[in-house]
Amino acid sequence: MTRFAWLQARTQSLAVLAALAALAVVAAVTGIHMSHLYAGLVAHCEARGNCGVAITDFLSHQRFLQDALDLLMRLFPALIGAFWGAPLLAREMETGTYRLAWTQSVSRRRWIVARLGLLGLMTIVLTGALTLTVTWWYRAVDATQASRYAFFDRRDLVPIGYAFFAFAVGALAGAVIRRTVPAMVATLAVFAAARVAIATWVRPHLLSPLHLATSLLNSNQFGFESSNGSAPALVVRGDAPNGAWTIASRLVDGSGHTASLAERVAFVKQNCPNVVPPPQVGGSGPHKVRIPDDVAAAMDSCREHAAQTYHLVVSYQPTSRYWTFSGWSSASSPRWRSCAWPAATSGSPGASAEPGATHRPRGQVPLVSLTA
Amino acid sequence: MTAAIEAVAAGKRYGRRWALRDCTLSVPAGRVVGLVGPNGAGKTTLMHLAVGLLRPSEGSIHVLGDVPDGDPAWLAKIGFLAQESPAYARLTVGQHLQMGEWLNPGWDSDFAGARVAALGLDGDQRAGTLSGGQRAQLALTLAVAKRPELLLLDEPVASLDPLARREFLQTLMEVVAATGLTVLLSSHLIADLERVCDHLVLLVAGRVALTGDVDDLLSSHHLLTGPRRDISSLPADQHAIEASHTERQTSVLVRTNQPILDPSWTVTPVTLDDLVLAYMRQARDGHPQAPTMAVAR
Repeated sequence: MTRFAWLQARTQSLAVLAALAALAVVAAVTGIHMSHLYAGLVAHCEARGNCGVAITDFLSHQRFLQDALDLLMRLFPALIGAFWGAPLLAREMETGTYRLAWTQSVSRRRWIVARLGLLGLMTIVLTGALTLTVTWWYRAVDATQASRYAFFDRRDLVPIGYAFFAFAVGALAGAVIRRTVPAMVATLAVFAAARVAIATWVRPHLLSPLHLATSLLNSNQFGFESSNGSAPALVVRGDAPNGAWTIASRLVDGSGHTASLAERVAFVKQNCPNVVPPPQVGGSGPHKVRIPDDVAAAMDSCREHAAQTYHLVVSYQPTSRYWTFSGWSSASSPRWRSCAWPAATSGSPGASAEPGATHRPRGQVPLVSLTA
Repeated sequence: MTAAIEAVAAGKRYGRRWALRDCTLSVPAGRVVGLVGPNGAGKTTLMHLAVGLLRPSEGSIHVLGDVPDGDPAWLAKIGFLAQESPAYARLTVGQHLQMGEWLNPGWDSDFAGARVAALGLDGDQRAGTLSGGQRAQLALTLAVAKRPELLLLDEPVASLDPLARREFLQTLMEVVAATGLTVLLSSHLIADLERVCDHLVLLVAGRVALTGDVDDLLSSHHLLTGPRRDISSLPADQHAIEASHTERQTSVLVRTNQPILDPSWTVTPVTLDDLVLAYMRQARDGHPQAPTMAVAR
């Protein structure tokens, strides 16, 4: 049965393999070029003191390939699910060939295990080859990023877990829906929803985050926020140390109580009457508004006042947990149910959101975000 | 006579709709059995139950002594040609034979190769580009080359043109003559069945309306034509299947094992077509003892 499963999987596997080989050639040539650029522009920028300019200059090279490979890493698992997983059973049902397949002298269980197993294995091998290529190509670009978590779900192990998960979702959708195109659509929808759900609600809680308490004045963004001219509230965005993944930043008072939005509004109202939102600007969308000098001075004194009442607590996942999080993706890949249909178990981390999006070091600037 | 297929009160339900209900039938081994019935009678459902693609919702079905449960050793004894002769469009004829060899322990590759050569099929041609007749022949080759004890064919000639249909049935008869395997062949084209079948099962609305050897059925049924009369006056051994009356004349299809002695009847032998149609109408309309339409005149 394995030989027949390979006969059926051969064309699509070899086609993807050929595409990956072509990609590898392109990646090899351009990747070496990028390494040279990195060595020339960025590697010794500290000594020259021009890192900001050097990194911007470096990142402007191969812009298209950077974007294309990043997009490919997001799409590849979904495509595997839609084009390999979904048709696996749906096409047999749709064209009626299941009546041929399941009346050969092979049990249905063996048939499905062979077909799912072989394509599942090809999914892992080929996605592995892809992620190896892309991770290698990106190593110079990634070195300029502050946090490894920024590209967490497009490098190393996570895409493999995602691709296998998408493949299983597709196979299950095909078995349930029994028609190829609707099964493909359902696969894409379920997979996209699962990615978002995992990134938003599951992954941050896989391991209890560490906490770091510090003065508010040490945070890189601490200021006021107001929308539609409402009363301004204190806001803070703290960065966890050393490229860690920041989960949350909170204002905490001396007794360990986290300040709610109402309390943060009330604080400004009571203690800083001179901090007022700038006048309304017509039209919609964000506007840049020059803050009057007297308000800016009021903001500065208010921040100092707030720093005596509250301190900053940052919850984060340290860099040392990177491989633990990556490993979750492989370990929690879908399991097979006893009847050999793939079960869509959730649990692969990775997401479209960028957990460590705070990679550009910023100065201590007041934050005034306005939503007209 | 041992039974190749034995169904007892078998039924299959899809949601609230019964595709087959209360089906009790026996298909004798060693025969070529025609399964006839109107569309929707449950022929395909019965076939799928028999090869294990479906499980009965009620009742039981035994095929070659076993419950069809997809056991590989049992599957090796079954050859199935599904409706519309499914084949993998992207695989070639040769790859289909390769599949048969890989997936069936009793595969007869000499037979398969000779068969494909005799049909003039190109081994490198993709199945998706074959004509309907060629695909049916390929599917038949696949089903027969696994050397089954029982071959089930679900309307194999329904979509074929008359020439392809004749060639297909010719192939089938050659295979049967050479191997002596049991065949269950469904069709609603009675003329095709008459050519190849020696036993008949008529299925109407999931129930067996008529079953028996074709020769026995033909010799035990007669079409009687004579002056108009009430058919309840027929002798006790003559069972009226269908009667029609005109103002002066009555014709009645009767089943009897005795000679027809009444000289007022003109006795005509029946064709299988007449017989099947009469039983289909009887199953649909009920018994003909009270010809209400004629009485009303």
